[in-house]
Amino acid sequence: MRALATGLPMPSTAFDLLAGEGTDDLGFQFGAMASHCEVRIVGMSRRQAEPLAREAIAEVRRIESKFSRYREQSVVSRINALAGSGQRLDVDAETAQLLNFAAQLHAASDGLFDITSGILRQAWDFRAARLPAPGAIEALLPCIGWGQVHWNGRGIALPKVGMELDFGGFGKEYAADRAATLLQERGVRHGLVNLGGDIRVAGARPEGAPWVLGIQDPRAPAGTMMATMALADGALATSGDYERYFELDGVRYCHVLDPRSGWPVSAWRSVSVVAPACLAAGALTTVAMLTGQGAVEFLESQNVGYLAVDAQGEVHRGGAAASTLN
Amino acid sequence: MTRPNRSAKKSALKATPKNAAVPKRGMSSIVIAALALPGVWSPAAHAENAPEAGVISFKFLHYKEDKREGVDYSQFKKDGHPITVNSPSVYVMAPLGPSWAVEATGVYDALSGASPRYHSTGGASVMSDERKAVDLKVTHYRERSSYSLGVSHSSEHDYVSKALSFGASFSSEDNNTTLNIGLGHSNDSINATDGGVSGDIYGKRKKTNEFMVGVTQAMSAYDIAQLNLTYSAGKGYYSDPYKYFDNRPDKRQQLALLGRWNHHFEGDGSTLRGSYRIYHDNFRINAHTLQLEWVKKATPDLSLTPLLRLYSQSAASFYLDPVYDANDNPIGYDPNDPTQLVSTDQRLSAFGAVTLGLKAEYRIDPKWSIDGKYEKYEQRSNWRIGGQGSPGLGSFGATFIQLGASYKF
Repeated sequence: MRALATGLPMPSTAFDLLAGEGTDDLGFQFGAMASHCEVRIVGMSRRQAEPLAREAIAEVRRIESKFSRYREQSVVSRINALAGSGQRLDVDAETAQLLNFAAQLHAASDGLFDITSGILRQAWDFRAARLPAPGAIEALLPCIGWGQVHWNGRGIALPKVGMELDFGGFGKEYAADRAATLLQERGVRHGLVNLGGDIRVAGARPEGAPWVLGIQDPRAPAGTMMATMALADGALATSGDYERYFELDGVRYCHVLDPRSGWPVSAWRSVSVVAPACLAAGALTTVAMLTGQGAVEFLESQNVGYLAVDAQGEVHRGGAAASTLN
Repeated sequence: MTRPNRSAKKSALKATPKNAAVPKRGMSSIVIAALALPGVWSPAAHAENAPEAGVISFKFLHYKEDKREGVDYSQFKKDGHPITVNSPSVYVMAPLGPSWAVEATGVYDALSGASPRYHSTGGASVMSDERKAVDLKVTHYRERSSYSLGVSHSSEHDYVSKALSFGASFSSEDNNTTLNIGLGHSNDSINATDGGVSGDIYGKRKKTNEFMVGVTQAMSAYDIAQLNLTYSAGKGYYSDPYKYFDNRPDKRQQLALLGRWNHHFEGDGSTLRGSYRIYHDNFRINAHTLQLEWVKKATPDLSLTPLLRLYSQSAASFYLDPVYDANDNPIGYDPNDPTQLVSTDQRLSAFGAVTLGLKAEYRIDPKWSIDGKYEKYEQRSNWRIGGQGSPGLGSFGATFIQLGASYKF
């Protein structure tokens, strides 16, 4: 999920660093969750802002290490390790809340958003650019389905060997929300948190001016904006078919996979959503990509701003985004 | 004397239903679920923050009582109609920096009409009065709490009320729970020097202390509940100088428990607000109020709110029914005992009442909105729920119409 998030009017990020010393528009870059990330704080001296930025970055790292399936000690890895063992793992309150959120999302999307679908990556190798071996997807499908998971609000068990949970669909967005909220609770009035294009505003620019955020053109080189979006509050997330994909015989296979068929979606090149929380914006972009032809109707029903580019390159926009996009 | 604003405005405390951490109007379940997660939404930056925009609003309230059966209004030269109140008011709220806000209200009531001097079966007196009231409240917002201090002053030619109030609210870490407390003190003076039924009343006073504690709890993404307990204890002159047979206790203790429940319907974005209030006081009045309001958007800019309120109360222990002896005294009244507690005020009788209302709010543009409200109130003895109503009283009805306009700046 990515959008250009340097923020307009330019200064670019590099310019910020140079101009940042002693001024009140500060950018703190870091890498986390396999993305380029930035915390922006405006209206504070570096001495005030730096410890706050450090705290926000630490919060992002905390979430990454707690929920990443690549970390052996993460909650997710421990749940996955017990798959098929019949053993239930009792989880802490934060994990429980995220699991409840995932369950609500699964229900609200008619099963399209499914945190058990991550195992499909075992069949799809985007780097090698080849189609899954015959039968590979079919072998995985029985292990997919949130409905099979035993979750009682406190303890969780994956009933089959090979089942896995993956918080990749919302962990980064949750981290952006948490970090931005932390900044606001520490007194930051103007700022944003950008985790690889998942952006949560932590207060408008001074004088209430909105942040102007760019949206990546899905068919142009990275860094080419197709639209900008003015955001004084809330969050912006984008999901697209251009992040990880390969083309074979003129067909594009992207990393957004339908949990029902195991195959990539193709109706949308990208979907951007504006919502009060990045967690919601990110989830809605994914569900919209998976919904196919009904995505616009779905987004309208969610009462959020959106900009979606269909397979023919036509732009659909609506909700709050209609008036702020240009 | 039925004055629609007195009891409400003289109350030093107002329990404001505080919305939970996040705004919910029109949001989808996914957005609401995301905002409900701890740490995703900041009350400091949003709900608990001082308002960023100011508001000025003007309202005009017209209140009119229906004519009562058995009262000959034509004998009253001036108006010849029951009580009418016309009440323009102005409200201003302005933020002062990032963590302070000040609110002020000014009200002017012009009241005229004829009011029964005792049971609505008998005579009436002509009334004409005006009331001016102002109140001022300053609120300080902190990260998880807010504190407010208010003063108010209200004056009529025969009644002056001054009040002071303090309120505080504290939110839990996850924002799902808010504790509200309030303290209030009011000091009223009564000088009925023009037509009290037992001569002029000078320098009577009434002092009231009020305490409120309440909890607001977000029950789910769609439900929010609130429980408020209010206790007030007052001392002084409670009688009505304009009524015959009116000698009330000089102390009043009132206890009220109010429960509220708001439910947001995800499907059509409407909200149902329900409340139930149980009330008891040392006059031995027990009252129950059930209220339902349904806020429904007809268009994105127009919201309609129908309202139903059911009310029922028992009579005060010293209320006398309109049954008269040969000397035209209510039965039970002892003319030789000046200390006897007695009242024939229909508001202290046992009755039930129904209010039906409709409110419409229309947003013209982001800064301007207009609203209108119509309420019809009907009170009858035999509408009392769970007991007998006081016999012998005519029905009583009133109409409220309010028009308003608000501007954000």
